[in-house]
Amino acid sequence: MGREKEKEKLSEKALNLLRSRLSDPNFIFRPLSDSPDSNYSKLKFIISTSVTEACNNSILLLGPRGSGKVAVLELVLSDLLQQYPEAISVIRLNGLLHSDDNCALKEIARQLCMEHQLLFSKVASFDDNSQFMIAMLRECGLAHKTIIFVLDEFDFFAQGKQRLLYSLLDAMQSVNSQAVVIGVSCRLKLLSDERFKELIDTYLSFNFTIGHLVRFLFQAVSYMDLSAGFLSLGNFKTALSSNQRQPKLECIRDCSVLELYMMVCMKRLEVKEQASYNFYSVMTEYKSIHDSFQTSDYYAANVCLRAFEHLLQCQLISFIDNKGHNQSVEFRPVKLLISSAELHQGLKSYQQCPAILLKLMDR
Amino acid sequence: MATEESPQVTRRATRSYSASNTAIESTNPPESYKPTINDLGFRQQPLRLEDLFSSFPGRRSQILELLRLLGPLNSPMFPILVYGGPSTGKTSVTLQVFRHLNRPFIYSSCITCYSPRILFESILNQLFHRKDSGHSYSSLKRCERPSDFVNYLREALENVITNLKGNSGKVSSKMSGRPDGTMVYLVFDNLECVRDWDKSSTILPFLFNLNDILKMPEVGLIFISNTSPDTYYLNIGYAEPIPLYFPDYTEDDLRHIFMANQTNSRLYASFLDVVLRPFCRVTRQVDELAAAFSSLFKKYSEPLSDKEVAPNEEMKRRLFSHIRPHIASALNETFQVRSQPLLKAETNQETKKTNSSRMPGVREDFDKIDFHMSTSAKYLLISAFLASRNPATLDASLFDSTGVSDSHKRKRKASEKSMDQKEMAEQELLMKGPGTFPLERLLAIFQCITSLAEDSLDEEESHELTVEGGSRGLMSDVLLQLSSLCNANFIIKGGSCPLEGSTRYRTAVSEDLALKVARSLKFPLSKYLYRR
Repeated sequence: MGREKEKEKLSEKALNLLRSRLSDPNFIFRPLSDSPDSNYSKLKFIISTSVTEACNNSILLLGPRGSGKVAVLELVLSDLLQQYPEAISVIRLNGLLHSDDNCALKEIARQLCMEHQLLFSKVASFDDNSQFMIAMLRECGLAHKTIIFVLDEFDFFAQGKQRLLYSLLDAMQSVNSQAVVIGVSCRLKLLSDERFKELIDTYLSFNFTIGHLVRFLFQAVSYMDLSAGFLSLGNFKTALSSNQRQPKLECIRDCSVLELYMMVCMKRLEVKEQASYNFYSVMTEYKSIHDSFQTSDYYAANVCLRAFEHLLQCQLISFIDNKGHNQSVEFRPVKLLISSAELHQGLKSYQQCPAILLKLMDR
Repeated sequence: MATEESPQVTRRATRSYSASNTAIESTNPPESYKPTINDLGFRQQPLRLEDLFSSFPGRRSQILELLRLLGPLNSPMFPILVYGGPSTGKTSVTLQVFRHLNRPFIYSSCITCYSPRILFESILNQLFHRKDSGHSYSSLKRCERPSDFVNYLREALENVITNLKGNSGKVSSKMSGRPDGTMVYLVFDNLECVRDWDKSSTILPFLFNLNDILKMPEVGLIFISNTSPDTYYLNIGYAEPIPLYFPDYTEDDLRHIFMANQTNSRLYASFLDVVLRPFCRVTRQVDELAAAFSSLFKKYSEPLSDKEVAPNEEMKRRLFSHIRPHIASALNETFQVRSQPLLKAETNQETKKTNSSRMPGVREDFDKIDFHMSTSAKYLLISAFLASRNPATLDASLFDSTGVSDSHKRKRKASEKSMDQKEMAEQELLMKGPGTFPLERLLAIFQCITSLAEDSLDEEESHELTVEGGSRGLMSDVLLQLSSLCNANFIIKGGSCPLEGSTRYRTAVSEDLALKVARSLKFPLSKYLYRR
């Protein structure tokens, strides 16, 4: 008994170690960054030269999500902070949060204050904050300190009027400052925008994604059997199957027989090339099926309405337009969100599917 | 908006019908209650794994998977998305798993927190442990924007985690009722509601990317949703959370669920044999079935004098033949929402949760209308129904001053072409739905109908002298009644027509309800309906 417990504890520790390593992007990308050609080295070279030579610079990191852009950047920054502890100050902004330039300037001011132990006032206005930023840039320029602006989700800053970008880049040009602007984005269409070609000095692209792989590994590792203490092939297979789910089929399998009837009616209406249909046309079709085939599954309108609403909730059907809010549910036109092949497959895999439905689908 | 864990848990317990754990007590906090870090845990008796499995029949593999993904103590995790149909036990299982693990968590539901600001403030309040008995509804910090939220959240989480780390060095938490470990979990329930209030789609990407933005490995995120992950398609892409699927219960599972906590299990088993299969063809959601079964079981056990007896074959057959006619009618009814509010309060809650209240009129399936309406409101409803159903050109012929006109009953035989046209027109009527009408038309029809009613009333009770001021009294109420009907969704107010400049209205009641209302007034509605 004691040995079992001990073994479990050890395997728990191993599991914890694996999980923490897999969830930590720094750990994953460090060994990949050692070669001289890698993005890590290029980035490190660019930033360190701007620090030592006291010049401005701008870099854009592009690549799909999960390809390690921010991870590599963080690695570079942590290394540089160790190398030049007094000469670098980092400001981090995120496009999801700070795309509004009021917010962004407030955040810049707040981070600058935190970094230099100044008191941050929450009621400072936009002008106050922007003057503060320019003043700080000037001071840091005089002190030979480089400010690195990291703009995550750069595409949010780049849409709209781009006031923040222009004010930042303006500030960098006007005062004698040392600043590096690093944009990180996963939307590749930025490359085609002409304005950025002028503003940004360097593009680095990250090409391979390992985000999905890491997630898969995490799942497989989590399924590890603690009593045995080893990973097995079965763990990987379970993780793989959970990633290969087909959600619409699962939804169909969860439907009741009445809901299947309604979907088949809608399919038939589509086949008959009715441009749009709503709940009442589906009910007429349902009634005609019942009349011609004498099925035992014929239910009243309110029960069918409830089934209809359940289908709406599962997003197997949806309203055609979003503006019909002054019509009740029964009259708004709907459309099916699954193809007939998917419906067919779902019906086949349904336990105890009434044969009539399959026959109707085959016609 | 401060929330606390224990009263929430009691509410959850009453919501889950009979499958809940019997050992749930409701604790009332004393007046001067200062919540501490211990409130982040479940604060009730810890739950063993076997109890967890037995209280959720059919969910064994999901519970195991959730436990595996959460991992051992203090192990970082990827965000998880728990999804499945309604009333499949997602929220209850998640909460009870946290009770079993005794780990600190913050729960917020996107139904009660219906805007970003309320959501953010609710989470921050729970983290800053704020509930002042005097100001229990004020928030600690005002937080509207995601950027502020992230800053406050980081601060609060760091506080909490240092506290937890301090605690973990001390006495074992099982004895002192403290939650385990140094990780904090955030649970976001009903995530699909965010789609509706997130018109500019900033909140959903923000929530899904929260893990990357925070960059704190001591925080775990769990999302619970009624819809599958592919309905959250976002065009910026996001790190997908690990999905965990809760399928609907199979018939065997349903049987286990309904059999739990029944006093006479043999009797109930024979009842289930009879009703479970036919009802499962209509719906497999537990809350809908529970509502239907509870009333049906009462009818089933009616002929039995002794409710404790275990039925033998012959008794089963008798009971079956007694219940059989009721099953067919019960299948065609949705929730029996009786007007006994206290008794059926729980059923009502479930009704409102799973069914939207967009069509109140249709739910009532009785012969009489179950709610009270004043006479003028009833007449107004009927006039609105007629105005929506009939084209405006017919009004003159239908409502002339001499009363009902029979002119729309044509005596000629319908030709083939006109039959086809009739069918097409009916189709169109079905597709388009009820038409809109301006206020003046509604009032005109109302005036005609009520004057007719007054006349017929006069004929019947000609010896009464008190009917005189009736019609003038009715008119003054009308506009007030109209706005109440609009609020009750019987009449929908549409946008104003740009040509005429007046608002147009549309009825939202079904023909059944209109007929019932007319019947209660003894008004011959069918004579006035076009094409009937």
